[in-house]
Amino acid sequence: MESDQAKPGTPDAASDSVAQHFYSGALERIRRFMLVLGPLVVVAIWFAFGLRSALGLAVGCAIAYLNFHWLKRVVSALGDRATGTNTTQSGKGVVLRFLLRYVLMALGAYGILTVSPASLNGLLAGLFLPVGAIVCEAGYELYVALARGL
Amino acid sequence: MRNLSKLFLVLSALCFAMPAFAQGGASAPVNWVAIAGGFSMAIASAVCGLAQGKATAAAAEAMARNPAARPGIQFALILGLALIESLALYTLVIIFAKVK
Repeated sequence: MESDQAKPGTPDAASDSVAQHFYSGALERIRRFMLVLGPLVVVAIWFAFGLRSALGLAVGCAIAYLNFHWLKRVVSALGDRATGTNTTQSGKGVVLRFLLRYVLMALGAYGILTVSPASLNGLLAGLFLPVGAIVCEAGYELYVALARGL
Repeated sequence: MRNLSKLFLVLSALCFAMPAFAQGGASAPVNWVAIAGGFSMAIASAVCGLAQGKATAAAAEAMARNPAARPGIQFALILGLALIESLALYTLVIIFAKVK
């Protein structure tokens, strides 16, 4: 049976290695996209809709960033548990952290709603920061795939 | 499991029973948009929860079977969970836009 993997030392193997290295950095790039995209959108909203909406958006972006970070940690802990490696975290801790993300989002929304209901739209928009970052990453990967042929 | 589903069926029937008895006389117009918003949020949350559970279970099984493929599976799982969550958020945003 013929193997799908390229033989080591061949140009195909080198190309595979470069592509693997490129795609393994996707999560870090998404994190950076979030860090760049968040402040940019907050400034744009500040000019377009005023301070209150921008403040709500900033809180939403912060919650979304923290949410994504905790999601990564929870999935990593889940991977540790599934593969049986580095099981320093308890199952309860993993589940609690997964649920704590929702509590944080609810608390943020409640806080904004009680302090300034006008900022709620901004908060809701800010929660979509990871989606924007993923779209940016998809566009970047498409560009690299077309430009470099990875 | 069957008993639990029967319990939920009875509870949901009770939710409808009380307002039906309370109706009478000149009642205020019913805000159907808010009611529909509540139902749609419940459906979206339930389906997103099911989807997240299914994706996590499949990823955990795949990682346990093939630990070497862990980075790729983990990346796909993180993206999948983030996008599934955003679907529930879309519903929430639409409800806020319509109910306000």
